[in-house]
Amino acid sequence: MSAVAEATGWYVFGVVASPAPMPAGVVAEGSLAALVEPVSLAEFGREALVERLNDREWLETHARAHQDVLQAACAAAPVVPLRFGTIFDDLEDVRAMLRSRRHELEAALEYVRGRVEIGVKAWVAPASAEARRPAAPVTGRAYLEQRLGARVQAEEASAALAEVARAAHERLLACSVEAVANRPQPRELTGRDEPMILNGAYLVDDADAFRAEVAALAAGCAARGIDFEVTGPWPPYNFVGDGVAP
Amino acid sequence: MSSSGFGGARSLAERSGGPAPAQLADVLERVLDKGIVIAGDIQINLLDIELLTIRLRLLVASADKAREMGIDWWEGDPFLSRGRNGKGLEDRLRRLESAAGLESEDGE
Repeated sequence: MSAVAEATGWYVFGVVASPAPMPAGVVAEGSLAALVEPVSLAEFGREALVERLNDREWLETHARAHQDVLQAACAAAPVVPLRFGTIFDDLEDVRAMLRSRRHELEAALEYVRGRVEIGVKAWVAPASAEARRPAAPVTGRAYLEQRLGARVQAEEASAALAEVARAAHERLLACSVEAVANRPQPRELTGRDEPMILNGAYLVDDADAFRAEVAALAAGCAARGIDFEVTGPWPPYNFVGDGVAP
Repeated sequence: MSSSGFGGARSLAERSGGPAPAQLADVLERVLDKGIVIAGDIQINLLDIELLTIRLRLLVASADKAREMGIDWWEGDPFLSRGRNGKGLEDRLRRLESAAGLESEDGE
């Protein structure tokens, strides 16, 4: 572990079972071990953090680092991810936390053992909108009829898309241990023009079988212009608790 | 000096190799809003992080095409969120926004 001269805190990324198969950055207490990293309080102290959290570049760098550490740990052993920004003054406090939350953490580790989180997003591909574009109208009446028809068509299309997304989620839920439908991500974060209609997270025993199910689902939806994207495997962020502090 | 923290963590991650970097939206969504919450010595006041998400939301809400199209089936259906994440970002945002006198821009 690197030597740190200035005031230091301990950032906790997640919790694994002890003994942990990780070479460094582990603080063990009983059956559990925390994945930790010393951080400068000049950067991660109370006041500093408030500003940093609203600095998009800083946030991206450190959110990715948090993810990278958990992803690496995940490859070696079951991990319970902690939310971003869990920091302790010293390692004794980390051990005390492992003692006081032991039952909950052990149960969470047991629950995610041998399982992975897979993300599935579905988008309305732009090609489907192009394909529906009608020929240019010749008369004014034809134009108005076409406008009205287009509006009705758009409403029907929206309802149909929502139904497709819901059905897709239900089908994937059926082959998951647990599933969550999250709010679709905004375009400013995704960088894609087309709208997202499904943003699901699925805790699964068999990632390959689940991916095959998504592929079958996607093949069935391709004609309707729905584009699926699978992400992961992720550390089981979506499946380790309800976010209630002790 | 935004790279001063997590130095060792980064190298730990690099040693493992792994897949291509995930999309930022996927990472932020999970890292900021999911994962188990444990009270550390240095608290990130939830308000701090929610100020950030309110900013993101105010930035993006007006262009939220899916909602414009009326595709909002994921909301208000507890069956579909079979997880235990009942109190999500949305609820917390709504409470904070009303406390702060901010109107939600997408008409909720």
